[in-house]
Amino acid sequence: MNMKMKLFKGLLMAFAGVFSVLSSAQTPGVTDKEIVIGLFAPLSGPLVSYGIDPLNAAKMIYEDVNSKGGINGRKIRLVIEDDKCTGNDLLGVAKKLITVDNVFILHGGSCTAAIAAAQEYIQREKVPFVMLNAAGDNAVFPPTRYMFGSFQGTQRVYGSALSEFAIKSLKAKRIAIIVHDDDYGKANLAAAKAVITRLGGEVVAEEKIPPNISDITAPVLNLRASKPDAILSGAYPAPAVLLAQKYGEFGMTNIPLLQSTQGMPTPSVYAKNVGNPDALKNLYHTWSFTDIAKEDVRERMLAMYKKSNPDREPGPFMVTGVPSALAVIDTLQRLGRDLTREKFVDAMEKLNLNSDLMTGPLQFSATRRDALRTVEVVKFDGKTQKVMPDYYTWNGKDGN
Amino acid sequence: MSLGRQQLLIGVILLALGLILPALLPEYFIYLFNLLMMYLILAIGLDIVMGWSGQFAFAHIAFYGIGIYGTALLHMRLGVPFIVGMPLAALLAALIGYLIAVPATKLRTVYLALSTFAFAQCAAWVFRTWESLTKGPDGLRMTPTNLFGFEIVNDSQAMPVIAVILALVIAATLNLLHSKLGRDFFAVRDNENVALASGVDVKATKVWALTISAFYAGVAGGVYTLFQSYINPDNIDVTLLVLILSMVVVGGSGSLAGVSIGVVVLGVLPEVLRAAPKGLLIWQEFVYGLILMLAIIFSPKGIWGLFSRAKGKS
Amino acid sequence: MGLFNLILQGIISGVVTGCVYALVALSLVIVYKSTDVVNFAGGELVMIGAYIGLLLLMWLDWPYVFIFLITPVFTYALGLVFSRFALEKINRKKTSSNTVLVSFVIATIALSDMLKGIVRVIPFTEEVRRLPPLFSGPPIFLGDLVIQPQDIVIVVVASIVMLMLWLLFGYTLVGKALRATSQNERAASLIGIPVKSVKSAIWGLSATVAGIAGLLLAPKLLMTPDMGNMVMLAFAAAIIGGFSSLPGCVVGGILLGIVQNMVGIFISPQAIAVTPFFVIMLVLLIRPQGFFDKTLAYKKV
Repeated sequence: MNMKMKLFKGLLMAFAGVFSVLSSAQTPGVTDKEIVIGLFAPLSGPLVSYGIDPLNAAKMIYEDVNSKGGINGRKIRLVIEDDKCTGNDLLGVAKKLITVDNVFILHGGSCTAAIAAAQEYIQREKVPFVMLNAAGDNAVFPPTRYMFGSFQGTQRVYGSALSEFAIKSLKAKRIAIIVHDDDYGKANLAAAKAVITRLGGEVVAEEKIPPNISDITAPVLNLRASKPDAILSGAYPAPAVLLAQKYGEFGMTNIPLLQSTQGMPTPSVYAKNVGNPDALKNLYHTWSFTDIAKEDVRERMLAMYKKSNPDREPGPFMVTGVPSALAVIDTLQRLGRDLTREKFVDAMEKLNLNSDLMTGPLQFSATRRDALRTVEVVKFDGKTQKVMPDYYTWNGKDGN
Repeated sequence: MSLGRQQLLIGVILLALGLILPALLPEYFIYLFNLLMMYLILAIGLDIVMGWSGQFAFAHIAFYGIGIYGTALLHMRLGVPFIVGMPLAALLAALIGYLIAVPATKLRTVYLALSTFAFAQCAAWVFRTWESLTKGPDGLRMTPTNLFGFEIVNDSQAMPVIAVILALVIAATLNLLHSKLGRDFFAVRDNENVALASGVDVKATKVWALTISAFYAGVAGGVYTLFQSYINPDNIDVTLLVLILSMVVVGGSGSLAGVSIGVVVLGVLPEVLRAAPKGLLIWQEFVYGLILMLAIIFSPKGIWGLFSRAKGKS
Repeated sequence: MGLFNLILQGIISGVVTGCVYALVALSLVIVYKSTDVVNFAGGELVMIGAYIGLLLLMWLDWPYVFIFLITPVFTYALGLVFSRFALEKINRKKTSSNTVLVSFVIATIALSDMLKGIVRVIPFTEEVRRLPPLFSGPPIFLGDLVIQPQDIVIVVVASIVMLMLWLLFGYTLVGKALRATSQNERAASLIGIPVKSVKSAIWGLSATVAGIAGLLLAPKLLMTPDMGNMVMLAFAAAIIGGFSSLPGCVVGGILLGIVQNMVGIFISPQAIAVTPFFVIMLVLLIRPQGFFDKTLAYKKV
């Protein structure tokens, strides 16, 4: 090879070297004009109903901000992926978004178990991870630097809220609990037990059922045999319906049934599936949003969703995708123009966001990674939802 | 090319890829490579019991799970280093495979399939309920593997190690293919009575096939712990088995080249589908089923089968 | 509620769900006896029956009776098509009888994914759904025991289907042709039985039974695209019966339904999930030919 070629090659390599040094010094996902965010949720598979509408809702919030000029002169660009709610897929999605799409932060995940699979990786790569709508218990306790979540409350929050409501409002003393034998169930149960014991009540039954249970006769018989004043349920949508049906069949409907949010993503469908109005006469459930009580909030959210996704009719669960997006936007706005991942984490830790959509403030701290600790209890008779007075706040300790 | 030379060549190529690619490609693609290499080990193992010896043994994923939890827990609870832990876990998987094989191989297709499937589900249930050992549904966070004092913390570091393990697995498979035992596998698959008549110990052959395939699955489980840091019992389920099965069928059962093709095609497919408009993602499950159906109807010998036929004709 | 009543309620409930398991088990065994194929798509055929029924109800608003008559026709067609276009094609290419069996089973696995996949594409199926029950009357109380009218309907319809199958196989010409084909295919074709058509009809029949089971099960069990996973319970029921005896399926199904509830009451609801698999392994270990197979046990196992 002659001298000219050698020189040319040398210059090229020098250029490459300088360029790579420069680009690695720059924050990934941030340019002069845009911030790149990796947004993901289950968009296929059995848990798609937990992900599709909430992801679209987060998207609509970002689009709304962009339409108003963006954040400090930058627009948000989304890279959307499907995590299928499994650990393997979510980890793969995270790795792709970080190392191929070079996103600034990760924003996504509806299933805590899947998110937990990626936790070690994002810790190592020091990439901020903001959960979409997962409850998050296993990934925020113990808190780790880069993982933020639980924007609609943890299972601890639901379990303790329903327990407190049962004892204080319904004057129940003997409480039966039915949960799944998975991470959600464990967290829910632990918090409920701690609160019940603390407030002087008694846990008279603890039924743990597999998530794919088909015949719920035996557990419900056990619940009935324990003669409870109230029944707490952390069941998922299908078992939750089975539970209500069996509870109705066995004539237990005078006992209040208190269901955590995950069992009733769309209350009207739940009621239709249960099919027995008598079983719904003493039904309560948790909810983290004011859109039931405040019509204007609900209308506003619906209008925004329709504008961004004209082809799809959303279910009420849609709003669960909103708070995490609001938190990200609030943090970015507070940060100004100088964006790095470390600064993002520091700013996120200082989050104290009061939105008219949420039943409580979204807060983090140096030792706290679960955003929402206050929820409301809603009475649902199959036709109308009535928000109960008092909000219920988890004290940060029960169940830990 | 002699067998030894083949094995050496494959080993060198794999090791070279394992050392060079991490420097060239983003980490995500290295992760994909690691995943594919692990799938290949699983697929070869499944092929040995299903394709080579014609037994419908669905317990494969249970042994994979034993490999994962075994390697991880030996390391975390007893400080056993990976280099010893993984073979131990794989041997444990093989032992359990042997214990299952002895009664199971007496059974005919439907019963074998169902009993091994039932065993796999029981194993998954054990992983989920034996919380004091496996942390159950919370999942197990695994500490990084320590190889001769060097900690493997990311995909790039894991890749050369996995490449070497794969090379060893392929070398062993090639040896097995050319051995009497390997030939016995095929004989039993084609016609048990004829095999029996020609002096093959059919029962022992069948048991060996299942035991060896369990060992492979255990090794694949050990490989998992190299580049993954978390295991949840829900990850070890029928969906994975169907995926590996599809890889074997679509690629071509009964040959290393076929299985490799199947792993690459079905492993890369999700990445290709990623580029599709998000609205079409929901079709994935159907598409995978359709591919498997078309493959088994029109090309039961897989893609490799098509190649061989074409080669044979010309 | 006393322990005795607890057990009795568990038994009643077990009999009801057991009847549905029995129906699905029947559909599996019908096909296995005749074509030696293990139908891993059995559960998905049940699921499709349920969803077709639901869609007919919602889109066409037909009365329930019609839905009960039309849905099985759809599933019959599905079974027929699968047998003709998938299984027959595979059969033609066979190299050895063993490998073709493996291919058949893989085809059923592919079918199950395809059925599940296509149902999931419809946005309507994201949420858990339910077929409204045939009879929504008030529950019947016998002391402390509760019996839902819906449950009685399930048992009655299932019994009718079982009776019809028994009559079909035992006393009709068609049934004799089916039995002949399943016992000895070559001989059957030699005496002029159109074996291919008969096999397709068998698959159609099996799918019909599965579809009916879906319509019975959906009001009780709730519908998701994954509801086909209950097929394992049907397999367990069939194995107890020996996988070749139709009455065995019935007994096996009912027994399994009861055992599941007993396990739930006396051990724990968590153990319910593993019960069918445990039963499968146990039965295959101690009496592989099942408890009801009188004929040629060594041949089939």
